[in-house]
Amino acid sequence: MTFGSIDRRKFIGTSALAGAAAATAVNPGRLRADETVRIGFLAPLTGGVAAWGLPGLYGCEIWAEQKNAAGGIDIGGTSYNVEIVSYDNEYLPDKARTGAQKLINEDGVSFIEMLGGDTMPAVTPIANRAEMLVSTLLPSDLSPDTPFLVAPAEVHPIYNLTGVWWMAENMPEAKTAVICAQDDALGRPSVATYLAAFEAHGIEVKDTIFFDIATTDFAPVMTAMLAHKPDILCLDTAYAEFVNELCKQAFVQNYGGQIISCTADFYADIIANTSEEFMEGVIFQFPDFDDPALNAEGINFNDPNGFFEVYNERHPGQWGAVSWEYASILDLWLDGAQKAGSIEPAAVLDGMKQGGTGAHAFGEANWWGEELFGIDNALVGNWPVVQIQNGKAVIVEFKNIPEWWDEHSATMIKHFEAMGEMWYQRA
Amino acid sequence: MDFGVFLQTCLNATYASSYLALVAVGLVLIFGVMRVVNFAHGELYMAGAYCLFWVFYQNELPFFAGVAVAVLAVAVVGLFLERTMFRPMKDNPLGGLICSIGALLVLQAGAVSLFGVRKKSFAGPYNEAVTLFGIDALTISGQRLVVIAFAVVLLGALWTFLRRSRFGWALRAVAQDSEAAALQGISISRISMLAMILGAALAGVAGALTATIVPTGPYMGHPVIIGAFIVIIVGGLGSLEGAVIASVLYAFTHTFVTTLFDGTIADITGLVLMLIVLVVRPHGLLGKPERA
Repeated sequence: MTFGSIDRRKFIGTSALAGAAAATAVNPGRLRADETVRIGFLAPLTGGVAAWGLPGLYGCEIWAEQKNAAGGIDIGGTSYNVEIVSYDNEYLPDKARTGAQKLINEDGVSFIEMLGGDTMPAVTPIANRAEMLVSTLLPSDLSPDTPFLVAPAEVHPIYNLTGVWWMAENMPEAKTAVICAQDDALGRPSVATYLAAFEAHGIEVKDTIFFDIATTDFAPVMTAMLAHKPDILCLDTAYAEFVNELCKQAFVQNYGGQIISCTADFYADIIANTSEEFMEGVIFQFPDFDDPALNAEGINFNDPNGFFEVYNERHPGQWGAVSWEYASILDLWLDGAQKAGSIEPAAVLDGMKQGGTGAHAFGEANWWGEELFGIDNALVGNWPVVQIQNGKAVIVEFKNIPEWWDEHSATMIKHFEAMGEMWYQRA
Repeated sequence: MDFGVFLQTCLNATYASSYLALVAVGLVLIFGVMRVVNFAHGELYMAGAYCLFWVFYQNELPFFAGVAVAVLAVAVVGLFLERTMFRPMKDNPLGGLICSIGALLVLQAGAVSLFGVRKKSFAGPYNEAVTLFGIDALTISGQRLVVIAFAVVLLGALWTFLRRSRFGWALRAVAQDSEAAALQGISISRISMLAMILGAALAGVAGALTATIVPTGPYMGHPVIIGAFIVIIVGGLGSLEGAVIASVLYAFTHTFVTTLFDGTIADITGLVLMLIVLVVRPHGLLGKPERA
């Protein structure tokens, strides 16, 4: 029996080849991997803190897609496809607890990535019971009670000291500062870090102003800050939209000094709301990954410029502080799993910490934190200082955090204690 | 606090009073006539903000066209809520409240699905700083002045409407005693519809006018509705004048405490203010005691 000029045998053979080719095109690599490893992504995907969750999920999806396209990841002689299983915790502890239970008990994940902060205490008992490896972006979540929690990418808020350090070296005329921060688990330890850094570099802090997380009108906050006529406005680790609104208000109220902030997510929007001149010189901590400085030797993030390009093609205007971070944690997890030859959480943790060092995105780093967090589960090394120049974020220098710590650790611990943020002070 | 900071703080507080009064007066109108505590009122404010975002920012049409669309669209949403939820529940105040919570969630989810979770921060056409009377300390963005001007004009117009027009008299009559008003031939259904349209439109205009000042997001109505509830309790449930006075009182207190101390203490102070009024004058500043 023939179908036109093609006989039956030829038709079946051609169809099978076409089907296989189509399956490979849709899910390249899946045919070659033996098994699937599931990674949990438990972070805010909606709500006020979504800017520090959702862009990270996009990054992880690109990471997984690239690994799967290359035939999966090889761990202990087994090839795995990677599947990211996300759960939106809305930055609410109850939802985070439910999400952790679902990811561990129903989805069978081997690793959970979290933002941390206010949601972490709800997850810790579950993770400890299941001996589940969990990562946080906030090392201030770490304590001896969190043996399965690691902070391998972001050493928030400690890296904020690098911005102050660079500013003190390059802008010695700036001598006074005012800090504002939202009153929460992100804002408070960050304030302690900035206070320590300002003190270490001889900059007087005139006032620290806390505001509620529900604040929408930042005019009074800015008026209070500018009343001190500071050389430096420090916006601490304010959420993305807060930074935007604070900058708008500083602009309207005619501020002309230096601004330093942990993040300046979506800074193009801030420039649109103020002006390029106003935002010129603003210092923060999170680079765009098309920065040429990230192509230097020692940078461990795989093809940062290419990643940035793909990310912006897929999600234009969504690049932010966390876009690369969760993906870089997956690099470290993979490295640990390959060293351990297993995807078992406890084995991966041992693999990650093998030798006391790790390949952090910004260079070789040490597992550290005993003094500040009571446990050496934070990966600390270099961190970039970023400045807005001609409307574009530019890495001006990499600073080494352990080097600063060796000289000023007592100052940092003093301010963490005063803020009640040392691990033994936290409930 | 030096004099310059004092003046700037007064200006900040005047702006805060203005948009809060627009939202609170709408809430009072709805409660006064329909006896429904509309928890979705903050989401009507949010809907107004998104209307402006869509018309002015996404479609690049004139700012005031965006405001007009917001007023009309939110009034239609209000009318829909009244016809489908509040009217069928008119004999069940708890039912109306629960329906309004449902509407709140639906409107939030609708905003998320239409515009995403990321808050929109965009500049208005009058973003430039304006220095009043040549005093540097009196600096405010033109956009905030627009809000203040609109609030004064709209609240004045509403007051005139309620005092001088037949519809206004009817609306006040229903708010005072709906049964007696019905016996006088006033249609409760029509007046309820009018109150809902007016209340929603005020929330919509407040949202649209402030959309370029605060981040526009699906959950932006939450803090506004908390402030508005405090205001209507302090002012006296059902009192429009009380709502305006309480808006000024609350906004000045909150703004000054934020400037002098911090925002967290300001929030606590706002709640303490409400508690004091509840203890000293349970029916609010200009509210009337409930008859037994």
